[in-house]
Amino acid sequence: MKESRLMLIQYATAVVAVALVSVHLIMQGVIYPYTTAISFSNILSIYNNGFYAVFLEALLVVVLVHGFNGVRIILHEIRQTRAWGTWVDAGTVVAIVVTVGYGTRTVILAVFGGSPA
Amino acid sequence: MQRFDPLRDAKPRMMEYAVPRREGMTVLDALLYARDYLDHSIALRFSCRQASCGSCGMKINGRPRLACYTQVAELGGERVVAQPMDNFVIIKDLVTDLESFFAKHREMMPYVIRADTDELEHPSAEYLMKPEELEKVLQFTYCIKCGLCTSSCPTAATDSDFPGPQALTQAYRYAMDPRDEGGRKRLELLDSVHGVWRCHYAGSCSYVCPKGVDPALGIQLLKRHVMSGKTPRREGAKVFSAPTPQK
Repeated sequence: MKESRLMLIQYATAVVAVALVSVHLIMQGVIYPYTTAISFSNILSIYNNGFYAVFLEALLVVVLVHGFNGVRIILHEIRQTRAWGTWVDAGTVVAIVVTVGYGTRTVILAVFGGSPA
Repeated sequence: MQRFDPLRDAKPRMMEYAVPRREGMTVLDALLYARDYLDHSIALRFSCRQASCGSCGMKINGRPRLACYTQVAELGGERVVAQPMDNFVIIKDLVTDLESFFAKHREMMPYVIRADTDELEHPSAEYLMKPEELEKVLQFTYCIKCGLCTSSCPTAATDSDFPGPQALTQAYRYAMDPRDEGGRKRLELLDSVHGVWRCHYAGSCSYVCPKGVDPALGIQLLKRHVMSGKTPRREGAKVFSAPTPQK
């Protein structure tokens, strides 16, 4: 993929992440008091709300793509060999797929009543 | 000033020279005095002494500047610290190797590219730019390739493949020229992992430029064109017929 497309994704995920994280923090810190917001039963009940489950999945994807792509950029600036570049790009894709996959598994299990632990 | 001979020294060292101060004295004047009367082994590069050639770029009191364009009086205090530019290999003392800098400049194809090469080499007419077209690129034509922008660039400090502010600015300058047809070629060249996107807009290049060029602006404008993949819409340079000789 062209670097300009990757940067477009980086900028777009940054903007979307600001919005999603803001809503998330308001939900977890303002609407619900922080101490009750992070209780296990409260989190499970949030997942039962289909809209919020989709919201959390979107937050997961956006933040991980933005974060790992950012790390990829930093790593490219540290070293400039061809092999390093290939490993960094491949590692970024693997890291995104694995973490998004694991997070999505947690969301799905929580939504359908399984144990995410 | 910082002294370092890679063939003899393990690491750079600082040496102090006492130079009699006179009104209007530039840092270059002071360094030349030190070289001529105090230590003949001092190595520095200079040429025009009027901020036109870009040869005497160095770090003066911690900031990249031209030695010929910096008066001792404007620095304040009794002590002036001269060091070679950052982000360049030191050849000796204040002389840095600009080879890679010029190579990156060449990579940007800093010349007008046209399909009609015969016309380019043997123009049949004048190709004029509109004032507003000239205005878009004029400040970037003032670049004297001194290297101060690259010296101050945080990305250039870590990414040796990054073209640097000077080369990117020149790419923008020629990509925006209405007489040029090589814009797309340049934009593709810059759309790489070590290309234009590695500029994080620190803006230090614009801060240190002795000619008032704003490379950071040029790079941001360049990003817009690289992102869209389009060269600017242009009507083409206005062609004036060559004047016919009058008898």
